[in-house]
Amino acid sequence: MEDGRYQDYGKELRAFADFYESHRELNQAISNPAFTLEDRREILKAVLSRTAMSETIRNFLNLLLDKNRITALGEISALFEQLTDEVSNIVRADVVVSRPLTGEAEGRLGKALEQMTSKKVRMSLRLDKSIVGGIRVKIGDMVVDGSVKAQVQGIKESLKRGV
Amino acid sequence: METYRMNSRRLSLAALGLAAAIVFLASYALASEGGGADRRADLLDLLYRWINFALMVIILVVVLRKVPIKEYFSSRIQRIQKELEDLKMQRESAQQKAQDLESRLKAFEGERKEMLEEYRAEGLAEKERILAEARGRAKQILEQAEVSIQYEMQTAKEKLKEEVVALAAQKAEEIIAREMTDKDQDRLVNEFIEKLGNTH
Repeated sequence: MEDGRYQDYGKELRAFADFYESHRELNQAISNPAFTLEDRREILKAVLSRTAMSETIRNFLNLLLDKNRITALGEISALFEQLTDEVSNIVRADVVVSRPLTGEAEGRLGKALEQMTSKKVRMSLRLDKSIVGGIRVKIGDMVVDGSVKAQVQGIKESLKRGV
Repeated sequence: METYRMNSRRLSLAALGLAAAIVFLASYALASEGGGADRRADLLDLLYRWINFALMVIILVVVLRKVPIKEYFSSRIQRIQKELEDLKMQRESAQQKAQDLESRLKAFEGERKEMLEEYRAEGLAEKERILAEARGRAKQILEQAEVSIQYEMQTAKEKLKEEVVALAAQKAEEIIAREMTDKDQDRLVNEFIEKLGNTH
């Protein structure tokens, strides 16, 4: 990764991992030891020839196939992204809302999270009606829950304890 | 023994004298009643009879002297005396044994009473111990039952409370979800963002 293209490599790796996991036939053909390694190499080569992937990622995927670790591609890709995020001072935030956020609210939320973490924040928004209302954010291992469901749950626990 | 022999001899002589006296008195009586030839014949007959009797007595005396009757009776007496002594000793021994048995019986009776008292006392003590143990056990069971009842009641209360709270929370969520507006959501989001800003 001395060439500084680690972010591009990460994107390529993620793209192939998503493709690999979403195509069951390809998945079974490459990872199934019933086929010879040579046959599997040929299949992978044929697939990669139709993409514009860098030589580095091609070699890495061939190495995973040779070492019989191609099935761990999803986890490897996630870990690679985590490492590249750390290098780039980026954190990923999973944001759950019950109703879509306005663009202005999304921008303010991003800024607030960046202030809180002192890092660049990449948010992924997800709608979930079960939280009833409000918003819930997960950054790494930290969860900031401002949902109505969490508040009701807090009241429920207080009542249980007799507070 | 010597006394016995002398007595025996005296007894023989007395019997002989008594027999002679009887014959003499009888002949004298007959002689004084009648007279003549008849009287003489009777006397003669009496004389023969007396001689006959005297001979029989003499023979008896001689025969009896020859036969060891004295020794027989003496040994018989000795044997009887020995038997009497043995019997006396046996009687004394039996009496002694009877006394021993009686004293042992008395002692046994005392022991029996003592043992009965001891057993009775032990039985009473055992009874008290069992009763005390049973009372203790009953008390323990009651206490355990009381604890279990309290625990069950507490558990039931907590369970009921949890169910009520869970139901209330569920209803609250349903009502909030039904009544929630976009404005409410915006307000919640704004509050959340403000809180995030304040934490920094």
